[in-house]
Amino acid sequence: MNKEFKLLAKPYIAWLFVLAILPIFVMLLLSFMFSEGLSFGESYFTFDQFALLGEDSTLTAFSNSILYASLTAIISLVLGYFVAYNVYKSKFKNKFIVLTIFILPMWSNLLLRTEALGNLMEHNNIITDLLLQMGIGISIGIKGTPLAVIIGLVFTYLPFMILPIYTALEKIDYSLEEAALDLGLTNMQKFWKVIFPLSLKGVATGSIMVFLPSMSGFAIPEILGAGNILLIGNVIEQSFRNMDYNFGALLSIFILLFIMGALYIVSKVDKEGETLL
Amino acid sequence: MQIVEKKVIIELSHITKQFDDEIVVNDLNLKIYENEFITLLGPSGCGKTTTLRMIGGFEKANSGKIIINGKIINDLPPYARPINTVFQRYALFPHLNVYENVAFGLKNRNDIYLKNFFQIDPTFEKKIYVDIIKRKIDEAVVEALKLVKLTGFEQRKITQISGGQAQRVALARAIVNRPQILLLDEPLAALDLKLRQNMQYELKEMQKKLGITFIFVTHDQEEAMTMSDRIVVMKDGIIQQMGTPKHIYNEPVNRYVANFIGESNIIPGVYLRKDLVSFMGVNFDCTGYTFGNNEPVDVVIRPEDFDVVELSEAKLIGKVTSSIFKGVHNELTLDAEGVELFVNTYENYEVGEPIGLKVDPYEIHLMKVQTDE
Amino acid sequence: MTDYPIATLAEYGYKDYRFFRKLYKIFSVFAVMLIVLMLYISIIVLAIQSVNSSVSVTSFGTFTLKWYAEMFNVRSLANAIKNTIIVSLVATALATVLGTLIAVGIYSYAKKTRQKIMLLNNIPLLNADIVTGVSLMLVFSLLLPIFPYIFGPATLIMAHLFFTLPYVILSVLPKLKETDPNLMDAALDLGVKPYKALIKIIVPAIMAGIFSGMLLAFTMSVDDFVISYFTTGNGFDNLSIWVYGSIGRRSLTPSVYAFSTLLTLMTLAIMMVYQFLMKRGKKHA
Repeated sequence: MNKEFKLLAKPYIAWLFVLAILPIFVMLLLSFMFSEGLSFGESYFTFDQFALLGEDSTLTAFSNSILYASLTAIISLVLGYFVAYNVYKSKFKNKFIVLTIFILPMWSNLLLRTEALGNLMEHNNIITDLLLQMGIGISIGIKGTPLAVIIGLVFTYLPFMILPIYTALEKIDYSLEEAALDLGLTNMQKFWKVIFPLSLKGVATGSIMVFLPSMSGFAIPEILGAGNILLIGNVIEQSFRNMDYNFGALLSIFILLFIMGALYIVSKVDKEGETLL
Repeated sequence: MQIVEKKVIIELSHITKQFDDEIVVNDLNLKIYENEFITLLGPSGCGKTTTLRMIGGFEKANSGKIIINGKIINDLPPYARPINTVFQRYALFPHLNVYENVAFGLKNRNDIYLKNFFQIDPTFEKKIYVDIIKRKIDEAVVEALKLVKLTGFEQRKITQISGGQAQRVALARAIVNRPQILLLDEPLAALDLKLRQNMQYELKEMQKKLGITFIFVTHDQEEAMTMSDRIVVMKDGIIQQMGTPKHIYNEPVNRYVANFIGESNIIPGVYLRKDLVSFMGVNFDCTGYTFGNNEPVDVVIRPEDFDVVELSEAKLIGKVTSSIFKGVHNELTLDAEGVELFVNTYENYEVGEPIGLKVDPYEIHLMKVQTDE
Repeated sequence: MTDYPIATLAEYGYKDYRFFRKLYKIFSVFAVMLIVLMLYISIIVLAIQSVNSSVSVTSFGTFTLKWYAEMFNVRSLANAIKNTIIVSLVATALATVLGTLIAVGIYSYAKKTRQKIMLLNNIPLLNADIVTGVSLMLVFSLLLPIFPYIFGPATLIMAHLFFTLPYVILSVLPKLKETDPNLMDAALDLGVKPYKALIKIIVPAIMAGIFSGMLLAFTMSVDDFVISYFTTGNGFDNLSIWVYGSIGRRSLTPSVYAFSTLLTLMTLAIMMVYQFLMKRGKKHA
């Protein structure tokens, strides 16, 4: 392209610095202070909030978040890879339509979907009612349990795993598969030794796209956990709601560390962001 | 004199392959012998690559039988066939380095196969033979890389090697498995001229040294002529002619083959009687053909077979309409009473100059006139 | 004609798993369908609720379409919907245009610099919603002394722009890479000025990327909750915030289910139309 056009990107870089990088410094600052929201009138430096970090509730929230996010990522990986691989191998003329099927649920409002899921997890809900009217009686009551939250997380973020893996699989040259067969590998061996290693880019990206929102979201744990499950996102939300910007900022910094880790992995594995969509 | 019986290693019997509505390979019958370098030659779409892929197991024939070592292998997947392939764009595994690519086939075989492969004493214990196998695989890989002149490249990444080097890695990866048959799908297509010519020579040498059957696919007739023991010329899924390069060059069986292989002049003529053919209003002695008296024939004369003689001794006279210097010779186009003739000469002739031509009876080749070309 | 025996896998040292493979295939089909069902179950429930005459979430009365009709009668919901549409449309439009230009700008850089910029670009994408929401809120708050009423539609649109731009850029950039590098030079050679060439030549070539970026941006914007939650103000709710509030107040009206179902169906319809047009385009090309 033309060198002149570099100008077009410069304001954006500035924009990113102001809106993405600057806040990090503000949050760092806030973590080390006490202030009333953002009014620095009566503020002073303190390490108080670090003490809060050590509190049981915070630590539990942290470990829970990581635990839930990891479980969600693993389950999504297994299910997601399975689906992506099957679509990849299928003989559908129009894979685009098939992929749209997996993206469509994302167009419904997340909160409504989660609310609906939450209702399903109650003993009495609309489906059981309909089934009852048809003469079948079943009921599940898992709302408020960790299982409910994990199920909700997986159901919600599974598409984020399917798409990157599918993209990575599509990029594998078919002649590589033929070469593997030619050299004496069975279909099973071919998968583990050739296809899977070459799809790792998608696996990494997909896992990150599932792990991060699962770890830091607060809507799903709140609705499906019925207040019993507190993840770090919930704690942050509470802090800011209660005007405790300092603690909220500190916790946010911690999440940022995870995100930096993720950015680092993505930069090593998928330099031009091909699978991020 | 004893004739050496050549053993048939693959036989294709009435093989037909259809994609949607198009018949790509049409009732093909072919016997391939042990230890020969055979080339499938033809333009894109003639079915040569499809045939190769059917032999390799990447396509399934709609009908017909492929027989290897006396058994029908149509339904056998590629991994079970005693065949290895060098793919057109090499298909090297990007996540492995050169060594790992070459070792890939052997490393993924099971123990029983490997014990057999390296002829290890079956009574050895697992601890012992596992070590031996490791060592033997390493030796085999190093040997294969030496054969393709890539010693020292073991640790290189696939992204760090050139096209020519990648081609050799692909070759090494295939032959390290000691297949009975090696399939090569236009492997030299992506190389530049000098490199391609070198590789042609090296491939031929390698085939002789290894003693395995090479089945080569190309659209480049010069390549086919250089390397092959036998050439199979194909068009529209049907074999047009099969034979040694010399035979096909000298005795093309129809216009298509005559035009495809080398340059030629094809002139309509009439076979008057034994050893006498008439074309362009002149009678010529010919030899070695049997046609019906006064049967129309196509006369094939290679540009280099015309002899330029004094106008007084000439049987044909033509005026030079163009002359192109080709280094080794000049390519002349002549107009001889309305017929365009191509003649190759060592001397230079001016455009507009009239030239006298003669041709030896041995160099007049006759073909049956085909009605459906 | 000699009769040859058929070669078996066993004699070459391989096991014949054909039966298991067939079984696995059938299993896969069912498993995938089950997973798809999983993903859709909540939407199905929403659709059922939207035609449920009873307001209760536990029992189904009779089939009715009244909630669709009443969609705009609940003032707060109507407002929220209106706000959502305005913000999302504006943000998407801005993001699409600006994003495309920015992508062109980024593409003009050398590979190494480009990768560094893309790393920066990834931050809004990968960053947790809550951190983005909080960050933006903090930055906007810093501006409060100058613009006391900044929180509201303005901040909301800026926030949405912040997280949709990367998606547009990510969609357009690969398409830019796919275009013939000589295209621009050809235009210049023919005497066309760079910016004009950009609009007349490059943009049509990357249309598919721009379109999918736009779609992606709209999707992300319409559905956003957390970021909007932190960056709006003065009662300017979008749909997600309204829903969140209603869930809390237990005052959810089935009309919102109707709206959601309608939105889903509409987006589905748009996708199908797009697909159809693409196919037509390919046939004619």
